[in-house]
Amino acid sequence: MTKIDFMQGNTACAEGALAAGCRFFGGYPITPSTEVAEHMAAKLPKLGGVFIQMEDEIAGIAAVIGASWTGVRAMTATSGPGFSLMMENLGFAVMTETPCVVVNIQRGGPSTGQPTMSAQGDMLQCRFGSHGDYSIIALSPASVQEMYELTVKAFNLADRFRIPVFLMADEIIGHMRERIEIPDTIPAGERKLLEKDTLPYHAGKDLVPGFPQFGKGYGVHVTGLTHDERGYPCTTSPSVHEELVKRLVAKVESARHEIADFRVTNPGAEIIFITYGSPARTVEQLIHDHPDANIGHLRLRMVWPFCENALGEFPDARVFLVPEQNLGQIAREIERHTSVPVVPLPKLGGALHTPAELKAAMEAWR
Amino acid sequence: MRLVIDERRCKGCNLCTIVCPYKIFRQGAKPNARGIVVPELDRPERCANCRLQALYGRTLCGMCQMICPDQAISWKDEEIGEPTKVAIEF
Amino acid sequence: MTYTDWLREDRLPHIYCAGCGNGTIINCTLNAVDHMGWKKEDTVFVSGIGCSSRAPGYISTDSLHTTHGRALAFATGIKMANPGLHVVIFTGDGDLAAIGGNHFIHACRRNIDLTVICMNNQIYGMTGGQGSPTTPVGALSTTTPYGSREPTFDLCQLASAAGANFVSRWTSYHVKELTRAIHTGLQIPGFSFIEAAVQCPTNYGRRNKFRQVMDQVEYFKTHAILQQKAERLKAEGKSVPENSIVIGDFIRRDRPAMGVKR
Repeated sequence: MTKIDFMQGNTACAEGALAAGCRFFGGYPITPSTEVAEHMAAKLPKLGGVFIQMEDEIAGIAAVIGASWTGVRAMTATSGPGFSLMMENLGFAVMTETPCVVVNIQRGGPSTGQPTMSAQGDMLQCRFGSHGDYSIIALSPASVQEMYELTVKAFNLADRFRIPVFLMADEIIGHMRERIEIPDTIPAGERKLLEKDTLPYHAGKDLVPGFPQFGKGYGVHVTGLTHDERGYPCTTSPSVHEELVKRLVAKVESARHEIADFRVTNPGAEIIFITYGSPARTVEQLIHDHPDANIGHLRLRMVWPFCENALGEFPDARVFLVPEQNLGQIAREIERHTSVPVVPLPKLGGALHTPAELKAAMEAWR
Repeated sequence: MRLVIDERRCKGCNLCTIVCPYKIFRQGAKPNARGIVVPELDRPERCANCRLQALYGRTLCGMCQMICPDQAISWKDEEIGEPTKVAIEF
Repeated sequence: MTYTDWLREDRLPHIYCAGCGNGTIINCTLNAVDHMGWKKEDTVFVSGIGCSSRAPGYISTDSLHTTHGRALAFATGIKMANPGLHVVIFTGDGDLAAIGGNHFIHACRRNIDLTVICMNNQIYGMTGGQGSPTTPVGALSTTTPYGSREPTFDLCQLASAAGANFVSRWTSYHVKELTRAIHTGLQIPGFSFIEAAVQCPTNYGRRNKFRQVMDQVEYFKTHAILQQKAERLKAEGKSVPENSIVIGDFIRRDRPAMGVKR
């Protein structure tokens, strides 16, 4: 029996994490993500988990990575400034292949910006924010229901690929209250442990090595330095570094079509909206108010890795309109993959696009 | 037992020469194949640990081993047939 | 089992310069860990960045070599998530007191059941000898070419004030005492902080009148003064000689601790 409830997006995210088996939360309070931490603080101790409020976001993500190595599912939640602080350690998680989930309830930036207003300005930061080449997965929920579902999905993807997975929500989704159906069972996923007598960073066909959990007798050395398959630092060999970094990128990018997650409305349409997060709701309203088979909608639930095949779902497309709460961060990525004109529809300041604004933008292409 | 310096690990810092109560370690004179001047041993059979470790069943002094930053100092059992000057003292 | 069984033999010799004291501190720590009778699979060594922080790579247990200054935050996560693991942290003066200062005082405040061994060489060795928060006033380094003018941190006083359960300072000359102090630190529930003054012949000694490796160790030998003696001198109204290194166990108390296995 699914349970019907009415709750806030941030709470739904915490509930999804608990359902996915998350038993460690390390974080630091920051508007507008605090409700995730508050809910975890209330629930985790009763479930035998650990909630710890660290001294800053740097320590928050560090504690999460440390906890993850003991085999528990661990997460943190933050917003813009805290997300910026986490960047170095997120690179560490990528390099050491540590599964973890980072929830970013985006707010207006740069700097302290608009703490209580919505934005989607961290979409490129989550992909490219740390130094060096790497690849990650970023999911973007557009409803309270998806805050729950995608949080569960984030944990499963993190364990499968051994990378940090980002839940890139925005303030509107985080603070919105709506109806949610909580399912009895959730898609299961588990962390594949390292087989005995295998080198700790030796990857098979899927390019993801088994997880040498601490306390199991693997005796593994985990380092943020460039390391060989034994896990030993090897910082001066060009070939070892190239091989490692290429594998870190390829393990995600080569699976991007398989794990792609998007929703298509009116595939035969010529004018296509591409959205993720809260702007998707305005487009849905527009299509609801003006039913027209010529208006299509591609809603990305997984933004990174960007699956360019999703654009091929609209063979008759004449234009891609991309409403975002930033100055066109994902529009730039879409532009890279298509010859069809891509029109960013940026909106800053925290207010959502209105259906009228989108309709006006669309009419120009009729 | 026999005191040995692992020449593959020793970096020639000579810290062992200042801690040994018997002054067994002396600064070396000639560089080895790796270009490192490894300390020389002066009558190592005087080492308390060499003589008494087996009797007491534990490491006795061991200062040189502890301070050696390169983990190069250890005690080895004599091989069978190896002439040994070490006798147990009472 | 002896402490040498804890070494990752296939990685030796290590990267430390000739005469570097860090190797001595590894010996002392492993000796103390070995005395505890812990199993390898239950022991985790954590470190940040710097010379000292390369140490876990030479130990055959699970080990985490993290980002600069954050070792204590990572260790907090490990210990809180699995209190059954014994977590020992190697860190240096720059790693702990400069970039990781905030994590240090908060780990002391929380009094998490960790043992921290700080190899204080008073310099940034890995990056080529820049001044650190513990570089003595007047000492030369590449970033203090006219002598350091900043007052220094006393890490032990800092840990005491912030709430650690065990605080101790020894030098790389006092190997037996240091081993015993680390052993005590490992036994005590709560946060244990052991500062070990180590020589850095390459980057500190060379610029500060310790031309030979042994010179700085001799300095530790002659300038170390036991805490009890220092206090006695003060009580008698005499002054503690300048430039002396006060050594000993400073704090041993039983504040409520976090992350202790029940």
